[in-house]
Amino acid sequence: MKFWGVRLASILGAVAFCFLLEAVAQGQSSFVQRLFVLAGLYVTLAVSLNLINGITGQFSIGHAAFYQVGAYTAGFCASRFFAQMNLPPAAWLLLMMVTSAITAGLAGLLVGLPSLRLKGDYLAIVTLGFGEIIRIFAQNQEALGGAYGLTVAPKIQYVWAAWLLAILCIAVCRNLLRSAHGLPFLAVREDEIASSAMGVNVTQTKVVAFVLGSMFAGAAGAILAHFESFVSPPMFTMDVSFTIVTMVVLGGTGSITGSVLAAILLFYLPEKMRDFTNIPLAGVAAAFVAISAAVFAIRWVMQNFHGSTKDRAIRYLGILVGAVVIWFLSKALLGNVPSLKENIDGSKLRMVVFSVTLVVLMLLRPQGMLGHHEFSWDWVRSKFGKPTVKEATA
Amino acid sequence: MTVFPHLLAGLELSTLPQQLVNGILLGAIYALIALGYTMVYGVLKLINFAHGEVFMLGAYTALFTSWSFGFTEVGNKQDSSPGILILMLIVSMTVCGVVGVLIERFAYRPMRSQPRIASLITAIGISLLLQYGGQLFLPSSPPPSISDKVNPFKGNIEIPLKPADSALLAQAEQLKAKVTSTKAAYDEQLKSEKDSFNLSPVGKELRTASQDAERDYRNAIDKANKDALVITLPQGQVIMLVTTVILMVILTWLVMRTTAGRAMRAASLDFDAASLMGINVNTVIAFTFFIGSALAGAGAMMNASFLGGTKIDTFFGMLPGVKAFVAAVLGGIGNIPGAVLGGILMGLAETMVIWAGYGNYKDAIAFIVLIVVLLVKPGGLLGSNKVEKV
Amino acid sequence: MSLLQLDQATIKFGGLIAVNSVSFELKKGDLFGLIGPNGAGKTTCFNLITGVYKPTSGKITFDGKEIGGTPANKIANLGIARTFQNIRLFKSLSVLENVVVGGFLRHKTPLLSALAYMPNVIKETESLKAEALELLKIVNLDKVADVRSADLSYGMQRRLEIARAMATQPKLLLLDEPAAGMNPQEKEELNAMVKHIRDEVGLTVLLIEHDMRFVMSLCERIVVLDAGKEIAAGPPDAIRSDPKVIAAYLGEAV
Ligand SMILES: Nc1ncnc2c1ncn2[C@@H]1O[C@H](COP(=O)(O)OP(=O)(O)O)[C@@H](O)[C@H]1O
Ligand SMILES: [Mg+2]
Repeated sequence: MKFWGVRLASILGAVAFCFLLEAVAQGQSSFVQRLFVLAGLYVTLAVSLNLINGITGQFSIGHAAFYQVGAYTAGFCASRFFAQMNLPPAAWLLLMMVTSAITAGLAGLLVGLPSLRLKGDYLAIVTLGFGEIIRIFAQNQEALGGAYGLTVAPKIQYVWAAWLLAILCIAVCRNLLRSAHGLPFLAVREDEIASSAMGVNVTQTKVVAFVLGSMFAGAAGAILAHFESFVSPPMFTMDVSFTIVTMVVLGGTGSITGSVLAAILLFYLPEKMRDFTNIPLAGVAAAFVAISAAVFAIRWVMQNFHGSTKDRAIRYLGILVGAVVIWFLSKALLGNVPSLKENIDGSKLRMVVFSVTLVVLMLLRPQGMLGHHEFSWDWVRSKFGKPTVKEATA
Repeated sequence: MTVFPHLLAGLELSTLPQQLVNGILLGAIYALIALGYTMVYGVLKLINFAHGEVFMLGAYTALFTSWSFGFTEVGNKQDSSPGILILMLIVSMTVCGVVGVLIERFAYRPMRSQPRIASLITAIGISLLLQYGGQLFLPSSPPPSISDKVNPFKGNIEIPLKPADSALLAQAEQLKAKVTSTKAAYDEQLKSEKDSFNLSPVGKELRTASQDAERDYRNAIDKANKDALVITLPQGQVIMLVTTVILMVILTWLVMRTTAGRAMRAASLDFDAASLMGINVNTVIAFTFFIGSALAGAGAMMNASFLGGTKIDTFFGMLPGVKAFVAAVLGGIGNIPGAVLGGILMGLAETMVIWAGYGNYKDAIAFIVLIVVLLVKPGGLLGSNKVEKV
Repeated sequence: MSLLQLDQATIKFGGLIAVNSVSFELKKGDLFGLIGPNGAGKTTCFNLITGVYKPTSGKITFDGKEIGGTPANKIANLGIARTFQNIRLFKSLSVLENVVVGGFLRHKTPLLSALAYMPNVIKETESLKAEALELLKIVNLDKVADVRSADLSYGMQRRLEIARAMATQPKLLLLDEPAAGMNPQEKEELNAMVKHIRDEVGLTVLLIEHDMRFVMSLCERIVVLDAGKEIAAGPPDAIRSDPKVIAAYLGEAV
């Protein structure tokens, strides 16, 4: 009884949260509403890819393919069946989310069954390849609108739907990890041979993760199609896949909360950058110089000083100040180079920010923001004061 | 819903030999890039995702070098020479080699103690950084191209495989007399009427006759040539092929005969054992990256200068990079002759797809080949299938 | 009745015959030793029995079933568990979680209930954890149940591997050099632990070990491999004095 009480309360809580977001968004410009919806979709994409990449350890970099399959499924169905079915938009959208999840799941099965025998970098390339094949295929199908794309009617722009999906995705992943059923997935990530010696069906586990992850991406695609009221192949290029991968990696492989935080951060940051329209190119170039210098200085400190936290903090602060100084100096210097005299739009920096994030992260903290951890107050407290593992075992 | 509307309907056998040759020429470029992937993978077990971007930088280097010789879009410099081309080649190779070494030194080397996936993510990051960061600093919209005046080798080499039907050809020759006579009559008429604005009815008649004769003649010639087979090779592409072969011979010598090459082979057999035997693995890796990247630079320079009007932007290396990677896997990654074989096969596969009328799918074929290879023979054609030791 | 039987089991890697026509038989309740110099093919034998590799030829029978070439996870389900010479723990999982993975093959609830975190899944998870904790007590690791397994000492990691294998509730336990890297005191404890596992828990044990004193004092029967071939078999006393065995270890001509 207590169980069902808690369960009901959490479901109601989630629904209430979604409609609260909807209410907040209603009062805002359509631009802000768009941000709300896309943020929800990116959270779903990142958390579902984290199930594949982070939790099960199968490095897939073609997640956009399943997003696309979902979006096209919804677009195609809407053009054929929406008029006849005469459903209210909300019911139609939910129906499409389910349908798209199924088709994307099937696509996931199709891709996963053969390719999950491959390891690490090979799998990465193959998933990338499948993503491209699916995109090129859609591009050449008249029934799917070819290179131009499909117009999707009706336009359905519910903030709540995007966030309900995101919360569902988070809940499913969290449930999996809380129960013993999650352990084989983690075990496969850690060591396939030991897993199978423990009776884990490695292939099946990978395929389940892959299909489940693809299903969520597919459902997200359905929401996207109806939100934009349009789908076309360029909406699902490798960049989208790389963006999602960056979110997962930044969050920390395997950490659900990490993926959520990183998705919101990495989605919001480039959007914010669009506000800056006159960024001097010399400043950007100087930033490259300053960041590179800072990264290698930090690495040097990490490797050569093992003093107290305070000592290190002081050094890092020094590096930060140094980096700012370098930035100013090199900006002044580079400002004289004629080809750097231009100004550029912040929107051009979107993928640049992602790529710099990836490289800097790998150089300084390859385990991501949260590592394998989940964000919780216990974890935060453990970072300050609670005895560490080594002390406990000693 | 018909998926493939004209399944193999448009196969034109007479163009097959030409397409095969085109495939080999294209494959040579893939092979040059694939060598870099394979050598790096052999030593470090890393897919150097940024290799395609090194290729892109090679094309830009060639572009800037050609500009420095005055072959800009607005400039009107006409006279190029093989010397300029060789210089462009050397500059591209050197710049790419240095870029490759720098990428290894600052991005990959710090990752060596990390899990392999960390290196892979770094490589993807560097690749994206060069694509999008490059967009900020390199001319890319509209995409520039190397002026085709740089290439002094403009002619074609024609290799007749099968001559035209001689009987038909003779018939056509007979028609030629009529072409000459009607044309002469028409020209005569024109001369006499040169002051009037409109052609007189007689003139019009003569004109029609002349045009008819001309058309008949052309038709006859075409009919005679219909089963003639001629392979046309632009001189530039032949030079590309020859250069590629020369570079590969040099590479073979480097790898098989020099100390550095021997060290490289040792490191790719067993990295740890090689370092225990006193081989300086850092030097070996730097050497590997230099050679591999320089070859990509050579490929890029030739691709951008010999195939007139090739547009260069910062994504220039992405598709060739991916396809060359597939070529390397196809041949057996880590295996140098395998990369060349794989490259040629990739080039052939692509032109065959175009030839069969599925040009829209030419970029998908690489991935299809990749997936099939990995599933059927994961070690590649010349590679070995290793079982993981437990 | 024989529990495990190898009949002319052979595997080749390219030109190398790592295991060459090896035949031996384990009875239920045996405590059996497999020894031989480095590279003799002992671990490869384990890999054949547990389905990591498929034998090139020969038969392997377990509990009346031919298992040569059966996938590893199926073999685990049939009742063979093992440890690894080069420790293969799930490094970033906790000690307890490592053991629960071992016990998971006995789960009953479907994955879908787990995704919804239904009460039956909660109960099952609790009971798997409780079982795992009991096993950790046997190998004396219950105090560090929540520690990341990679942070354990070497000897502890070896013991954790044993607990993880036992969690599958096997009929046959294969231990690959369980005492490697342990100090004398730890070896003493391990000796008692293995005896306990056989006598009290009732498992059949096949173990590879280099420490002769350890093997001789523990095992009742021993097979000796050299260069993939079986060169001797019998009780410890006979093995100790077998000239072929001495030659294999000391490198003398026979
Ligand atoms: N996957 C494999 N590929 C090639 N050779 C192998 C493989 N696994 C084991 N070997 C070889 O088989 C021989 C026996 O190895 P192993 O069984 O590990 O010896 P040990 O008796 O020390 O456990 C060794 O020469 C080893 O190199
Ligand atoms: Mg061994």
